[in-house]
Amino acid sequence: MKLSEISENIKIAFEAMSVNKLRSLLASLGVVIGISFVILMGWVLSGLDQALEDTFNIIGTDMLYIDKWDWAGGRNWKKVRQRKNITYNQATEFCEKIKNAELAIPNAREFGYRIKYKNEEFQGMTFIGTKWEHSLTPAGATFIGRHFTQFEDDIGSNVIVLGYKVNQALMVEGDPLGQYVKIEGRKFLVIGVIKKQGTMLFDFVDNQCFMPIKSFQSVFGKSGRSVSIAIKAGSINNLDEVRAESEGLMRQIRNIKPGEENDFSINETKAFESTVEVLRLSVWSVGIGMTVLSFLVGIIGIMNIMFVSVTERTKEIGIRKAVGAKKRTIWMQFIIEAAILSFVGAIIAFIGCSALVYLVATFLPKFVPETAFLSPVLPYELLLIASFVSIFVGMLAGLIPAVRGANLDPVEALRREN
Amino acid sequence: MDLNEENKNGKPIIDIEHIAKIYQMGSEFVHAIRDITLKIYKNDYLAIMGPSGSGKSTLMNIIGCLDTPTKGKYLFKDMDVSEMTDNDLASIRNKEIGFVFQTFNLLARSSSLKNVELPLIYAGVGKSERDDRAMKAMENVGLADRVNHKPNELSGGQRQRVAIARALVTEPSIILADEPTGNLDSKTGLEIMNLFNELWKAGNTIIVVTHEEEVARFAKRIIKLRDGLIENDSFNHHQRITNDTSTTSSVTNQ
Repeated sequence: MKLSEISENIKIAFEAMSVNKLRSLLASLGVVIGISFVILMGWVLSGLDQALEDTFNIIGTDMLYIDKWDWAGGRNWKKVRQRKNITYNQATEFCEKIKNAELAIPNAREFGYRIKYKNEEFQGMTFIGTKWEHSLTPAGATFIGRHFTQFEDDIGSNVIVLGYKVNQALMVEGDPLGQYVKIEGRKFLVIGVIKKQGTMLFDFVDNQCFMPIKSFQSVFGKSGRSVSIAIKAGSINNLDEVRAESEGLMRQIRNIKPGEENDFSINETKAFESTVEVLRLSVWSVGIGMTVLSFLVGIIGIMNIMFVSVTERTKEIGIRKAVGAKKRTIWMQFIIEAAILSFVGAIIAFIGCSALVYLVATFLPKFVPETAFLSPVLPYELLLIASFVSIFVGMLAGLIPAVRGANLDPVEALRREN
Repeated sequence: MDLNEENKNGKPIIDIEHIAKIYQMGSEFVHAIRDITLKIYKNDYLAIMGPSGSGKSTLMNIIGCLDTPTKGKYLFKDMDVSEMTDNDLASIRNKEIGFVFQTFNLLARSSSLKNVELPLIYAGVGKSERDDRAMKAMENVGLADRVNHKPNELSGGQRQRVAIARALVTEPSIILADEPTGNLDSKTGLEIMNLFNELWKAGNTIIVVTHEEEVARFAKRIIKLRDGLIENDSFNHHQRITNDTSTTSSVTNQ
């Protein structure tokens, strides 16, 4: 195929389309809708991916969490519930003995308690008793104020670091630092606020408040709950080694005999992937059916208009063949026309979706906060995907009409009146 | 009588031997050409005449490599056309044959220069050379000032001259004209025939298919067809060769 033929064919395609603007637009409508589905699906999925990645960064990709509970939730729920609690002493022993980890901190947790500030009362907070080293993990970075110190940790001061959303809810105005809040009748001094961390999908992290574990125990009691252990491996490369050591050490501490199953779980950020996978799958299953359907309509639309185009231009095909156009040239001409028709549809879809996405991502989260993970800008990869898909669809749709045009007998074609 | 035996300029460009063309229409077979043998040499000026149904269109289509014979042998410059694929035929049409049609057959949406360039595009000639050659062809037919006009902005005679420029632009071995004056008034028709005359004198080989005596008179050799056979093949002893400068200049300057 000579370059002059290809560029000629592209010119012909644009000429043909500009002659029948409305018809071309209608023909590519199916593709516009199909590509819009692809773009919007990609947009939602990439938003989910981004949300997942943000969450990973908060939880820390080099973090392990030893817990009675399994995050992935895949295992037998009953069995997991029957596990013995990880006691505070076991957790402390573990933290003292582990060698390869950069950090290991026990975290005691209570859900569903109230917090009072002046005359306001809020419910559903999660309180976490932890060590001062929590400030060294990604989840412990403060937005204002500070985390508690080793000294405050040691003596069990009644100080508290609020989660981002807790702070928003309590301190509608003014500086939270230096204010007192009441938990179970005890006064706590607010010394800091944790950075906003949760994406809207995983916003529970912003409802957590942190205090020294000794203060926690004096409020909520020493026993009766399972303590989890946060372990910072130091790097992802170190993760396997730390995981192996942790498992051995924990089995030893909990007296598990060889051959018996672990009665604890070592959780990682990977566990969240399964959560997102479910969401991803539901987006796909809703989107893919509609996409396939609209592409089918798109292909039929373009195919139909290409048949019309071939019929209308029979005489032209005859002339071109008479002066030396080969079958391949005619064939290419119509394939290129169909591809460009479809590609223009994709561009229209991309522009339309860009506007829609911008509006949705700007205004929808104000009414539906869960949608805040959506980006107001389409990822540029989607433009590439849309282009390739549309060109492919166009060529597919143009194939049969193009072959029909190419196979026309020049003598017959020249005899036509049009 | 038999001009086929006369070897004028070495080998013939077109060497047709005992060809036949049979179409099937439903259950009937139509013998459009029964048995034709014909040699055409360089710088021939041939008129093919005959009433409708005589097979002249079919013969023209075969000579022009738009169609292939059912039987017999057709050698074009020693190449066996009857054995060729569609692509090879397209290539021959592109390089060796310049068509001029009764209805002009120009692309309506393209300028006259683009129309003239068309065969060169399919020959893979680069843009600048294409422009040069098309421009030159337009000058040769006296339409240098009409290159940007579209066919519907030109008169019938001008359109036909654009078509002739398109036929000339690849410097083909033969120019094949099918009723070139059929859609023109007699004065314009005469101008077109004078143009063919000029081209012939410049060394081109021309075949004109026509049913008009007036047109055939310009040719050097006249073939008359009837019922798919050659009825008569002879020199035109009264060939009309106008040297009427007024007509010629009107052709080249219009």
